[in-house]
Amino acid sequence: MFEDLGVKDAFASITGQALLKAMLVVVIASLITVAVQKVLPRVAEKLGGKPRLYLLASVPLLRLLIIFATIVIVVPILVEPSFENMVAIFGALALALGFAFKDYANSLIAGIVTLYEMPYRPGDWIEVDGQYGAVRAIGTRAAEIVTPDDTVVIIPHNKLWNSLIANGNDGTDNLMCVADFHLEANHDVSRVRDLLRDVAFTSPRTKTWQPVLVIVFNKPWGMHYRLKAYPFDPKEQFQFISELTARGSAELARQGVKFVSVPVSVG
Amino acid sequence: MKDNTNDNKAASCLPGGLMPAEQWALPQTSVRRSLKDAIRHALKQLQAGVSQAEEPFESMDELPELSAAQQRRLAPEPDYARQAEAIACSLKQARSDGSLNREVVCLVAPPFSGMQQALTRFSEPEQSDSIETSSETWRVIAPPDTLCFDDQEASEWWDRQDLSRPWVIPELADFWLRSLSGLGLIRELFRRVANGDSGVGIVGCSSWCWRYWGHYLENAQMSPWTPAPMDADRLGAWFTYLASGNGKSTVVARMTGDGLYVLPMAEADAAENSKSRKKRKYSTFLRDLAATSRGNPGVALAIWQRSLRARPDDDAKLEETDDRTDKQSRAADCWVVPLGRLSLPSMPQSKESVTGFVLHGLLLHNGLDMASLEAVTGVSTYELSLVLSRLKRAELVTCDPLDQRWQVTPIGYPTVRRHLQSWGFPLDQF
Repeated sequence: MFEDLGVKDAFASITGQALLKAMLVVVIASLITVAVQKVLPRVAEKLGGKPRLYLLASVPLLRLLIIFATIVIVVPILVEPSFENMVAIFGALALALGFAFKDYANSLIAGIVTLYEMPYRPGDWIEVDGQYGAVRAIGTRAAEIVTPDDTVVIIPHNKLWNSLIANGNDGTDNLMCVADFHLEANHDVSRVRDLLRDVAFTSPRTKTWQPVLVIVFNKPWGMHYRLKAYPFDPKEQFQFISELTARGSAELARQGVKFVSVPVSVG
Repeated sequence: MKDNTNDNKAASCLPGGLMPAEQWALPQTSVRRSLKDAIRHALKQLQAGVSQAEEPFESMDELPELSAAQQRRLAPEPDYARQAEAIACSLKQARSDGSLNREVVCLVAPPFSGMQQALTRFSEPEQSDSIETSSETWRVIAPPDTLCFDDQEASEWWDRQDLSRPWVIPELADFWLRSLSGLGLIRELFRRVANGDSGVGIVGCSSWCWRYWGHYLENAQMSPWTPAPMDADRLGAWFTYLASGNGKSTVVARMTGDGLYVLPMAEADAAENSKSRKKRKYSTFLRDLAATSRGNPGVALAIWQRSLRARPDDDAKLEETDDRTDKQSRAADCWVVPLGRLSLPSMPQSKESVTGFVLHGLLLHNGLDMASLEAVTGVSTYELSLVLSRLKRAELVTCDPLDQRWQVTPIGYPTVRRHLQSWGFPLDQF
């Protein structure tokens, strides 16, 4: 079958020296890729705000450029880049991938799609299939996220085709946080809304130029308040929500507004 | 005649006068300078974890700094009483030409602009003839000892203030704390100003505090005014005015490395000595200084004081310059170290968030004592003392021995602002 595709002819001219040269190029490219993937995130950690996000986002793009450059250099070393040879090689590659590594190829192609569609970038806070965390790295086949409990979760890129991906900050440093308050009814709603807004505005972590919103829902059991605000750094989101909850609860208690609680049934 | 003299003084004390805050624009600088600054800032952030010996201040330039007496002569602190007159003149002019018609005018200025000190002098008797309402003296409203009020208490406090005659608040940032019970006074003041029942007044406010309250009271339209930004020409005129004292003598300042002239300014010099003007070359120091200080006079003056030297480090280089005759005819009063060679404060390595909370809190409140800083930041006193001592060693903050208030230093302000911006904190407009 490979003979029919002309693969044998295409590779007939490969010499040992050419193979060695091609391997050398691949090794150098791999080393540069590893260096980029290790060094840039470390440098980015030292920078704050937007420079950090830009640097992190540049890692997969640089890797794509390196991969592309490697292919451009290696292919002419190994085979004569004529139309027939290219058809033969890519035809054979497609067949091999199609039969043997279908899922792997699926993830690889999705990985390339993620590089230009950018549904997530390093530094983004995403949720895929119930797993929430910060994107640490975007590999060829999968992305790595670190959950708030410091667990690394590997997410294959092919999730892109059939899963819902929620991105909290979408390449920016603006990540909205929500603190929930479940209160008993029969209180001054307007006063509580003002008070919760002040809670957000007096937090040293709040980005005051972004909207601070207090949303209220009337539920059968009482009132549900959602205090929405942006922390100055997405990394601060959990401390931020905790602080809003703690200070909000303390002030509400001081004002005599009671929380609702669900009775716990044992056994 | 008297009016003209006053106008000239006003122009020198407050170059550019006052302008609506929305017209304020950052002084321009060269692309080369901007890139240099950005790269230097990034490198300093990267080196923060590597270099450990950055804290004690160490001058990298070898020339002796000016003595206290020389500094008082060549780069003294401004006369705030004169500045108060200049502000009054500017306001009077704005009212007469119809560009300002509010009873309560808000004057917003970045920290170290001298606005607070000038407004404090509005109540001094000698100022009354130059202020808008010449028949009445201005009453300075001082903040209460404690700033924690509920809405009712805040309203009662303002009821006790006499707003029937012209009043002035030198610094609004002294009237609040960023805590749940610390917002009442300013909230009530703005409510009264919006209702128009607060009489004639002037509210001076730090740009950081103003920005915060602009976000908090999103529907308030106060149309603040601000001092014009100090570009190179205004800085040159202002430094000359400060050094000249009586306004007659001129100061000569030249760059240490290449002997280029910083002062007198090209125009002033042209009028004085048209023959030598063609031979004389001028430095871009003032333009770079205006950009580095973001047009802030207090910051520019602090850097200017730091950059002045008594003698050049390398006379030989000066000999090579092409204006030998000029050098012989006119000796320099002082020498100026290039900005790139100045040792300005840098940010010590520490936890970003805590350092940011402290510095941001100090700027929002125009300085705070330790107890208030703890209330505002939520950082424990123990950790605060550690952070503040590091920042003090790095020359970024200072503690007033009289009232124990911590404040950002003017010389450290550009570094602090830039780092707060990098860390994502809300900034001021200027």
